[in-house]
Amino acid sequence: MVDPVGETRRQKWSLTQQAFDGLLATISPDRSTAADRYLAIRRNLVRLFEWRGCATPDEYADEAINRCAKKIGDGEEIRDVSTYCIGIARMLVLEMSRERGKEARPLDKAPEPQIIPAEPEGDAELRMECLRRCLDELSPDNRNLILHYYQGEKDEKIKKRKELTRMFGVPAGTLRMRALRVRETLQLCADNCLQRRG
Amino acid sequence: MRSERDDEKLMVQYLLGNLSEEEQVRIEDRAFADAKYLGALEAAEADLIDAYVRGELSPSERLEFERRFLTSSHRRSKVEFARDLVRVTNESKAAQNALLERRPPAWLPLSNLFRGWNPALQFAGILALLISVAGASWLLVENRAIRSRVAALETERRNLETRQEQLRRQLTEEQDRTGKVAADLQKPPSVSAPLVASLVLLPGLSRAETGRAQLVLKPSAQLAHIEIVLEPRDDYPRYSSEIRTRSGEEALIRGNLRRRRSAAGDVVSFDVPTNALDAGEYELTLKGVAGDGRAQDLGYYYFRVQKP
Repeated sequence: MVDPVGETRRQKWSLTQQAFDGLLATISPDRSTAADRYLAIRRNLVRLFEWRGCATPDEYADEAINRCAKKIGDGEEIRDVSTYCIGIARMLVLEMSRERGKEARPLDKAPEPQIIPAEPEGDAELRMECLRRCLDELSPDNRNLILHYYQGEKDEKIKKRKELTRMFGVPAGTLRMRALRVRETLQLCADNCLQRRG
Repeated sequence: MRSERDDEKLMVQYLLGNLSEEEQVRIEDRAFADAKYLGALEAAEADLIDAYVRGELSPSERLEFERRFLTSSHRRSKVEFARDLVRVTNESKAAQNALLERRPPAWLPLSNLFRGWNPALQFAGILALLISVAGASWLLVENRAIRSRVAALETERRNLETRQEQLRRQLTEEQDRTGKVAADLQKPPSVSAPLVASLVLLPGLSRAETGRAQLVLKPSAQLAHIEIVLEPRDDYPRYSSEIRTRSGEEALIRGNLRRRRSAAGDVVSFDVPTNALDAGEYELTLKGVAGDGRAQDLGYYYFRVQKP
């Protein structure tokens, strides 16, 4: 795996409280607003690294923020922290690709399609139990939506979604977003349940 | 213009890592700038994950997906969740189907009734049943027709009642209107009271305390227009006026007045709010203001304010 902070090649620079304060002050003079924007920037960075197929998107996002904070600490004038961080993130992605390309691997270690490691039967059952419990916690409308929106394959799914659009009386795009948000809520609930039980 | 379907395809290609750096940057920038597009990208990701767990991807897409999605633990958990969700939705579908299959057809209990009878009895029973069903159906149809006729008559009656009520209301309104018009005709014509009362002070007459002018302020009057007719000798660039009560109390001072031409000759005029003048005797002093600012008394006018 590529080391996002390049620890092996140079001394790691870690984010100090002073540098973080400087970063927040550059984002906004109001600390509360700055904190909200900082979280949004970090969320977008994690998304970007994930979309680009990075194995540790959180670590890479933190590295992009650290580099940005260091620049601010060094006295560089940054007008838009978000855009600047995204720029750093893209550079990191390029570094990541270059490092990957440089890695010499014997043929038998060439990348193979990855599969999710099989988990013990008990874990799978626990996950399903959590999911069912979280489904029960949804409102009847949302439960109905998620069970039908993601039901079926290809044509059947398309037909089902058209029916739901008519039933809920909303445009297809709106219904899609609604289903996605219910799905995210459900996954969050299931993850929390699993953590509590695990 | 790119359609939604094209956008969707492009998003899938992006998520699978099949686009150039430039195209990737374009999609990312748009997603960060446009919440709706970001939502669509996330929805496309959810659908792509579902397609993977349902085995709907082509072998090459599957390979690309695994290279891109199974590397991070967060995305792996999304894939696991999608797998569980498919299982739950399949269970729900199966449960719905089972419910439909378990529900017996409506005619089944009747067929059970004749089970075990000999064929002749079965035939007679079925025949009797058919006759009963036909009779019941005929009665049902007839009953429905009668009900529908009664309902139509009832609706007609209600419509007539409503129409009658409307006509009655219209008649009452018409009668009221006619009565009002007749009453209005009998009333003496009202003259709208003026909002502005006028007082013209003439030289010679009002300047002497004996020739007292009258200013009648009716309750409706809001302004009193006071006009002072000048003598030819009263030639000044500006004028001022002071109104005092008989006891010498100052009621109003107006400065910077200019002469103007009217039908009565050269005049100085100004308006006074009627609430500034109580009923009683007043003295008005007219002053001529010279170019150097010095004021010269030109005359004293006396008038009486009446508030009926």
